[in-house]
Amino acid sequence: MAALCGRALSCRGWFPPQQIVRHGSKAVTRHRKPMHILRQKLLAVTEYIPPKPAIPERCIKPRVQAIQEPTILEKLLQRDVEKTFKENKMVAVFQNNSITSEELRLLRHRLLKHDIRLKFFPNQILRSYLADTKYKNLLPLFIGHNIIIVCKEPKAKELLQAVRSTTQISLLGACIEDALFSRQGVVNYSRLPGMQIIRGEVVGGLTLLTSLTYQLLQTGPVRLTALLEHYLKQQNEAATGPTENLEQKETQGSQGS
Amino acid sequence: MAAGRARVILKTVKDISVQFCPFDSNVRSAREFLAAIGTEKARLTNSNCRIVADVKHDETEPVIAVTFNDGERLVMKAVNLTTREMLSFFNERCFAKDPQAQETASKKRQ
Repeated sequence: MAALCGRALSCRGWFPPQQIVRHGSKAVTRHRKPMHILRQKLLAVTEYIPPKPAIPERCIKPRVQAIQEPTILEKLLQRDVEKTFKENKMVAVFQNNSITSEELRLLRHRLLKHDIRLKFFPNQILRSYLADTKYKNLLPLFIGHNIIIVCKEPKAKELLQAVRSTTQISLLGACIEDALFSRQGVVNYSRLPGMQIIRGEVVGGLTLLTSLTYQLLQTGPVRLTALLEHYLKQQNEAATGPTENLEQKETQGSQGS
Repeated sequence: MAAGRARVILKTVKDISVQFCPFDSNVRSAREFLAAIGTEKARLTNSNCRIVADVKHDETEPVIAVTFNDGERLVMKAVNLTTREMLSFFNERCFAKDPQAQETASKKRQ
């Protein structure tokens, strides 16, 4: 019926644009039908505008800085730092005044002979690690370029000797066996005698008192024994004195006769 | 920051002594000054110049003492000075003493 109407109209001539029902899609289509312009306009005009609060939120809300996760490299370096501080008894911090790579190589060689290692860490990571541990007071040392020299044994003397010839690095401070030292402190530490000698001295000092008491207690009996021996000797001499005289007389008598 | 600093020319300097106590919190400028004059370039300008870093622990203020070739002494108390200020002043002084540098500068201007 609609097709017939269309054909009949087109035969009679041109008509003003009319809704061609034949090709018009239905209301409910399978594809998304483009919205009619009038409907679009209506919807745009009647959109919901939410009421604005008296003070805008951005004035009240505190600025939240997104916490950046540490990168993998940072995590690795942090683990390295922790390991270094745990394993090594001696940790010395030096300021690095642009030491040349040649000098650095020589220094590393000299120190490796005594099993002392050089370590380089970024200041930020060091600070973030050390702030929570017992090494808090080393924090002000880490400004600018630094070298950390570590060793499992507290070999302060060898370290100072090796570093003496290097002008471009200067010792700032050290943590030896959980005790913080300044430069002067490290120098004094290196002058201390070894552990064995100190132990010997301590033992000697402690036993001195007991040995004195022992001596005091012993003096009485010792003197007594000495005196008794002397007395016995005197007695023996006295006893042998007359017998000797008798023997001498006998021999003289036998010789005479 | 470090790259922006002017070159340090030590031709007229005999001796530089930097005293500081590293455990203090006000030594940043002194340490940075020491690092700036201790660079290879700076040291090459004058190999006879002695740079001494005196590390102490008696809570004294950080002091930088410079002795020039003509005997003049420049003492900078680094407690309240920034590194930049100290370096610029130091460079100024060195330039003022160095006749060669002044000649080259005047030639460039001409």
